[in-house]
Order: sequence, then structure tokens, then C-alpha cells
Amino acid sequence: MATPIRKSVELFYDVVSPYSWLAFEVMCRYQQKWNIDLKLRPFFLSGIMQGAGFHQPGPSKASYMGKDLKRQTDMYKVPFKMPRNPAEVILIKGSLNAGRFLTAVDMNCDQYLEELTRQLFLRVYYRDEDITEPASLMSAAAKAGIPEDLAKQLLSTIKDQAVKDRLRETTQAALDHGAFGSPTIVAHVDGKPQMFFGSDRMELMAHMLGEKWYGPLPELAKAKM
Amino acid sequence: MAALRSRKVVELFYDVISPYSWVAFEVLCRYQTRWNIDLQLRPFFIGGVFKETGNKPPALLAAKYTYAQHDLRRLADFYKIPVKMPPMERLMRRENVNSNRLLTAVTLDCPEHLENLSRELWMRVMARDQDITEPASLETAATAAGIPSDTTPQLLSRIRDDDVKAALKDTTNQALAYGAFGAPTIVAHIEGTPVMIWGSDRFPLLAHLLGERWEGPLREMAKY
Repeated sequence: MATPIRKSVELFYDVVSPYSWLAFEVMCRYQQKWNIDLKLRPFFLSGIMQGAGFHQPGPSKASYMGKDLKRQTDMYKVPFKMPRNPAEVILIKGSLNAGRFLTAVDMNCDQYLEELTRQLFLRVYYRDEDITEPASLMSAAAKAGIPEDLAKQLLSTIKDQAVKDRLRETTQAALDHGAFGSPTIVAHVDGKPQMFFGSDRMELMAHMLGEKWYGPLPELAKAKM
Repeated sequence: MAALRSRKVVELFYDVISPYSWVAFEVLCRYQTRWNIDLQLRPFFIGGVFKETGNKPPALLAAKYTYAQHDLRRLADFYKIPVKMPPMERLMRRENVNSNRLLTAVTLDCPEHLENLSRELWMRVMARDQDITEPASLETAATAAGIPSDTTPQLLSRIRDDDVKAALKDTTNQALAYGAFGAPTIVAHIEGTPVMIWGSDRFPLLAHLLGERWEGPLREMAKY
């Protein structure tokens, strides 16, 4: 009996983007429920903003997003806490080293990519901890179960041209799909790529993939505090 | 005898030039028969919201406009609402405010026609790429919405009245007071507390807040 071919779903994300954490956790839960092949594609949000342009949210929108994130993450049982200075986290400190480290892991030992992603999100959006310094990345790697020697070796490659190029290529691939922010999900449906922005098109994506939407599925939550 | 549960007020602030407002409008019209809510339609002026908040219309970012075209095509199919992103020239017309003022006049003078006229204006500008700024266009829309043709000239003339302009400004200011920065803006009154929700993609959350169940798009209830 033929097994149906798994549908490819790419999740382009940057760990400095809070809605990306929501999308990431939901997709990790649904890869157990749906006939999909989830491909995690760490990219660089700053590159997306440069490529597609950016409207900085005004104070009322920024205030709303804080409330919205709390309500959505409560409903989805993702342990989100807004950092004291989100503008500094996102716009000043940024995610270049984190993005390159994730890329190095993706290139060499992608079995750790999901958990390293989760640990970086927990650092920045649960514990309000740094994700730019080498010590921060090593700490996240340890919690993700990456052996210390391997983590050290991968960290030493983050300024290598191959790693920089790969992060740039992934970011460009998202831009080529029409991305303008994070998260960007590309579901391959009947041979056609369908790009979805944000963490709130899951029910629609289910409909297009011919799958069933079960809601937040909190019982499948993996992010532990 | 069990106490009657009083209906929870849900205000929908919308502008007919906003395609996502149409999605929210139809979904809430469907759910007002399923949920214990009192849906209050509040036509407002998105231009005024952008001006006051400094928030930029998403359509001005090319990548967002292109994305919204695809997004709305898929949502049209999912919700069974014939919504299409209008061309930029229609979106950006200053005269769009005429349709907001007409809806405000209807709210004041004959609110029983508000739902039908809102829907007809969306059908014109979103489904059929037709004008919603000229008096002749608005008269056609009013008649198609079931407003008696002997009352339409008087209703159309109300667009220029000070009390109508003031009422539109007032509704827009009320939305701003709730923290609005875009359209649609939904305000659910939960145990005396107003909860503002932006966009047409928070219905499961809205259901959760209201203590109701989200049952999906309810395409079988589509009016199209």
C-alpha cells in the first residue's frame, strides 16, 4: 500500500521574533499530527527588513502586541514573558550571532536544531537573557544537549564565509517567497509554494494541506520553564 | 428558573475600504446567531486612525500589499466571501470617506439598513471593483441594499451634514480610545472590561474570551 508523500512545510524564523516562537511551537506539535515534513529554516530578520522594507509599529500597536502575545501564548501554553526592553533586544542587540550559530548547527548536526531553537527562545523570551555573547550561545547549546566540544567547534565557525553565506541564502530564499517579516511559513501544496506570514494562519494552512486543525494542542507542549 | 445570561456586547469598528474588515464582519454576522453576543456595528474612518496613531497603511509596503492579495484570495475561499484586494488607486482615494459618512448617516437615521448597506458597499469595492465614492454609486448601493428609493436622495445629502461628520469622528475617536491603530477593531465587553482585538484572525481567542466555541468559517452560512 502506497504511503502518502509527506508535504514539505518550511518555517523561516528568527529567535528575536516573539510570534516566531509561537509558530515554532505550534508547528513542532503539528509535525506529530500532520503528514508533513517540517523544515526549520533559521533566517535573519534584519535582512528581511532591509530587503522588504519595514514600518516600525507606533506606540498603540506596540502596546497591543504586548497584550496580544500574552493572550496568544497563554492560550497556546508557550511560557512567554516580554523582556524589559524589547526594542533593545530586537533592534539593537539583534540576532546575528544566534542566527549564524543556528545555521552552523543546521549545516552540521541538524538533529539539535529544534531544541537549540527552543533554548534560544527561552533565553530571550522567557528569562530575558542575552543571546549575542559566546557564553550565552554555549549555555543554550548545553541545554539543547549538544556535546560541549561540538558546540565549541560550531561556535568557532560562525564567522566562516560558508556559514555567513548560508544564513544569507536562507534569508534570500524567504525574500524570494515574498517574505517581509518573521515568521514566514512556506507550505508546498500540489507542487506550489504557499507563503503564510505570522503565527495565525494555521487553520487556513490546515485546510489547504488537507489536514485537520485541532487548536493549540497544549498537551503536546515541549517548552518547559 | 435559571437566570438569563445577558448577551455580551461585541463592537465591530470597520471601514468598507478595509478588506480584512469584510472578513471580520461576515464572520461576526454568522456567529451572532451562534454565540450569546450583541453585535454592534460601528462604521469608522480608518484614515483618521492612521492619522492619529502615525501607523502606516500596510498597503504602502509593496511586499505586504502583494502578500495581502494572495492572503485574501485564500481567505475568500476559506470563508466563502468574494473579497479581493482592491487596486491601490481605489484604496488610497480621499473620497472613500463619503461611504463612511453614508454608513454613519444610516446608523443615525435608519440603522436597520446598516448591515445590508455595509455588505453592498463591500460587494461593490471588493468583489466587483466598483466605485464607492460618487453620489451615483452610493445611490445604487443604497437601493441595492433595500433602502427605499424615495428616501435615498435625502440620505445621500446627509453626507455633508455636520452632525454626520461629527458622529463619524466620534466613533473613530471611541475606537482610538480603546487603543485602535487599524481595521478591523473588535471590542468585546467581558464582565465589564473592554478587550480590544485587532484584525480578522483572532476568532478562536475571541471565542475563548467570550466562553464560546470557535466552529471554523461556517461556509454553509455564507450569503454568497
